Amino acid sequence: MRIDELSWSETKGWSRHNASVVRNGHAHNGDARKTDLVLYFGAREPLANGMRYQELRAMFPDAHVVGCSTGGQIHNDDISDNEISVAALSFEATEIRLSREPAHAPEQSRKCGEAIGKTLAASDLAGIFVLSDGLNVNGSELVAGIMSVVGQSVPVTGGLAGDGAQFKETLVGADCVPRNHLVAAVGFYGPAIRIGHGSAGGWDEFGPRRSITRSSGHVLHELDGSPALDLYERYLGEEEVKGLPGSALLFPLRIYDPQRPKHDLVRTVLAVDRDARSMTFAGDMPAGWVAQLMRGNFDRLAAGAADAARQASRTIAKNFEGDGLAVLVSCIGRRLLMGQHTTGEVEAVGAEFGPRMTRLGFYSYGEISPHAVSGVCELHNQTMTVTAITEAIG
Amino acid sequence: MHKLFARQIAKTTKPTGEVDIAALGELVIEAYTQADRDRRRTDRSIGLMIEELDQLNRGLEQLVEERTTALRERENELQEQNLRFNAALQNMSQALLLFDGAHKLSICNQRYIEMYGLSTEVVKPGCTFRTLLEHRKERGNFPDDVEQYLTNHRAAMARGQIYSRIVELSDGRTIVVVNHPMATGGWVSTHEDITERRRAEKQIAHMARHDALTNLANRVQFQERLAQALAEIPRGERLAVLYLGLDQFKSVNDTLGHNMGDELLKIVAGRLRNTVRDIDTVARLAGDEFAIIQVNLERPTDTANLARRIGEAIRAPVDLAGQTIVTDASIGIAIAPADGTATSDIMKNADMALHGAKAEGRGSYRFFEPEMDARMKRRRELEQALRRALAVGEFELHFQPIVNVADNHITSCEALIRWNHPERGMIPPAEFIPIAEEIGLIVQLGEWVLRTACADAVHWPDDTKVAVNLSPIQVMNKSLVPMVVSALAATGLPATRLDIEITESVLMQNTDTTINALHQLRELGVSISMDDFGTGYSSLSCLHKFPFDKIKIDRSFISGLPESADSIAIVRAVAGLAKNLNMITTAEGVETQQQLDQIRMLGCTEMQGYLFSRPCRAEDLLKLFPSRYEMRALSA
Repeated sequence: MRIDELSWSETKGWSRHNASVVRNGHAHNGDARKTDLVLYFGAREPLANGMRYQELRAMFPDAHVVGCSTGGQIHNDDISDNEISVAALSFEATEIRLSREPAHAPEQSRKCGEAIGKTLAASDLAGIFVLSDGLNVNGSELVAGIMSVVGQSVPVTGGLAGDGAQFKETLVGADCVPRNHLVAAVGFYGPAIRIGHGSAGGWDEFGPRRSITRSSGHVLHELDGSPALDLYERYLGEEEVKGLPGSALLFPLRIYDPQRPKHDLVRTVLAVDRDARSMTFAGDMPAGWVAQLMRGNFDRLAAGAADAARQASRTIAKNFEGDGLAVLVSCIGRRLLMGQHTTGEVEAVGAEFGPRMTRLGFYSYGEISPHAVSGVCELHNQTMTVTAITEAIG
Repeated sequence: MHKLFARQIAKTTKPTGEVDIAALGELVIEAYTQADRDRRRTDRSIGLMIEELDQLNRGLEQLVEERTTALRERENELQEQNLRFNAALQNMSQALLLFDGAHKLSICNQRYIEMYGLSTEVVKPGCTFRTLLEHRKERGNFPDDVEQYLTNHRAAMARGQIYSRIVELSDGRTIVVVNHPMATGGWVSTHEDITERRRAEKQIAHMARHDALTNLANRVQFQERLAQALAEIPRGERLAVLYLGLDQFKSVNDTLGHNMGDELLKIVAGRLRNTVRDIDTVARLAGDEFAIIQVNLERPTDTANLARRIGEAIRAPVDLAGQTIVTDASIGIAIAPADGTATSDIMKNADMALHGAKAEGRGSYRFFEPEMDARMKRRRELEQALRRALAVGEFELHFQPIVNVADNHITSCEALIRWNHPERGMIPPAEFIPIAEEIGLIVQLGEWVLRTACADAVHWPDDTKVAVNLSPIQVMNKSLVPMVVSALAATGLPATRLDIEITESVLMQNTDTTINALHQLRELGVSISMDDFGTGYSSLSCLHKFPFDKIKIDRSFISGLPESADSIAIVRAVAGLAKNLNMITTAEGVETQQQLDQIRMLGCTEMQGYLFSRPCRAEDLLKLFPSRYEMRALSA
């Protein structure tokens, strides 16, 4: 596998970074193999006008060009807000298939997932990487829909597109100008491909365990019989209440079925309804489940990211040929909390993988990855999830 | 150098190697600000968390406190319940045992230990059922075979059946044992001493079938025995039922009191029992009525012999509180199957025979005869006819004149009732008056006679009285005087023209009331005559009791005239006596001129009889009176 890394900024326009680009001069020229897949992550503003997509399409006319808006892009050890980070992948022996489905409303998320599953399902399907609208999709249902078709043995990873701390609109592109209400999924096929995955949070739970006493889908109404928003506002204090819903990311909720306390999930807030005193989360909030507030410590969050990288690196080929790509999808909440310290978690992932693995990724409104304990693909929040993509020799 | 600061420097170092100090400053300030916010947030959240946890803790403490209190209350409640249970267990009249699924004793109350005189060393929780039974066997309080009982018991418990049994202990006690299986495989066993209850039940059963006073069989048992004996009577054999009534028992009760009467009944009962065989039944049916069932009759004379022996036994003098009483019995006998095979027939026929015996006089016995039945039927028919007769006016009055022997003048006429039966013709008073007295119709009948007689007499000459007979029952009736007054008032007959005739027997009964009533009538102007004088037992003493206006000498003395010296003596004596007492004497039943002559000679003032006139209807009677003209001529 070969990777070309590119970036775009307002001031510099497109620039190439890695040795292979230097070595080959241009993506088009000289190389016998054409590019199969282009992944790009960027702020909503520069992506919205479609110019950048057209430019990428021109650069990689035969490749599937897939990307989304973010809450910050990761490119190796750097985190940027206004740039666009790109990785162009050429596979030796792996086939790529792209599925694109509209996502009109959260209630249709499962159907949307099922449609994707049907498009991509195949006996040699080795993994699916999903990028979804971050505000109009119930991520849990989307993943459940895909899995209901392809089965649990196929790892499904990816994330929900972001919009910084604004939560206004998220965009996804799949061989098209990035737009909202869209879900893109890339299927990887063949015996050579090795897809590793890891997911970890590193958050510390604190305060009493509460019970979800009223909810509907991914809207949480009450905890222990009191409006959920009241609790958050109390914890945030006046200063942070203004920053809702973004500031609620500082206190994610750990939830679990009281029958299966080890299979806990972390949920993060997407929106608040100040009149109804309810909060909309990125995934289901089943009534009767236990909920506990979480808070982050910079060092432990970074250690969590390292843990996710370790999990993912177990699955990658030991002597993989060419380059390897680690796609990092981390939660916007982590970034909001850590501020300048966020770089620490990206560096921690890099330290685990070493220099051969190119790292590209983004801060999201939700992460998709198999659960570390159950192995069942889920929507996560407030985690760092890592998808490692390599090809095995021979 | 701090990692973050190194990163900040790296970020703000230009390609020339020069550090952009302003940019670095901004980053550093931002980092500080962020750190401050993070600290405040952390402080705040930790504070809130402590507060929340504290609140939660207080809630938990309160919950623990509440639950502890509740537990303590529950414990106290349980303890109290336990006390109550124990008190109930130890104070219950039944013995109670509880066995667990391993057939070992869990609970046993003191009553059980006491009931069977057991040792608490052996009978204690944990002791097996077998050990317990063997211990009872040892103490002589378990009549069954232990092994056999255990087998049966296990089988019953396995079937989950409640079973009970009654145990008769060697000391005479009766215990009822009930075993209730439980879901645990164990059972609850209760033992109750029902000795007293059984005794009482037997007593009640005995009382239901025996006469309380004499302990003889009562009517219920008598009927049962009779029915049984009748059902079992072998072909060719007979049985006898003897009904027995004490003669004059009422007077013993009246004169000596009920206690003495009861004593007498007990003595009679004892004598009857001693007179019959064991296989016979003696019963007291009511008051002074006894009955005997004599079974296995061998000879036709057996029953007559028994009746005689009973008579002898009863007649033996009885000493009651210092007084010697001699009583006697009348006996009626019915024989089965000759006189019937149904209980009711035999009893009815024996009763009828008893009536026959009583009618015959004291101390006799009578066998039932079919004619008795016929007589009884006739009598019942007569009763019904009597009641009807009064309603439809089948009675009529005849009058027999009484005349002065000196001038043949009619002084009064005696009213005599006749019953003109539509089928049987004229029925004499001797046949229906006793029945009317018995069934209580006599008062109504007497009133009709009085009113009719008075009404008729109004049409007679002013100096002719009407004589009306009153029965003892009428005289004793409290309404006698008002009835007479009312009859006189209704007819307009002067009281002085009414003559009431009574017999001695009237004065024999309830003397004070009777004599008062007679005096009252006398004061009204009614005259009172002594009828049938000389037929009773104490005729002379009657004259002493009440100053009669007239004595009527019974026809039995007159019929002896003129030959019988005794009759002559008696008639003369009575006439003399009456004369001295200022009473009129009427000779009854004068049929011949010689008799008339003689009574005139003997001093009688009036005569009555066929010689002058038979009793006749009212209209015929009027012809005997002289016409008004003649009357006037006579008086002139």
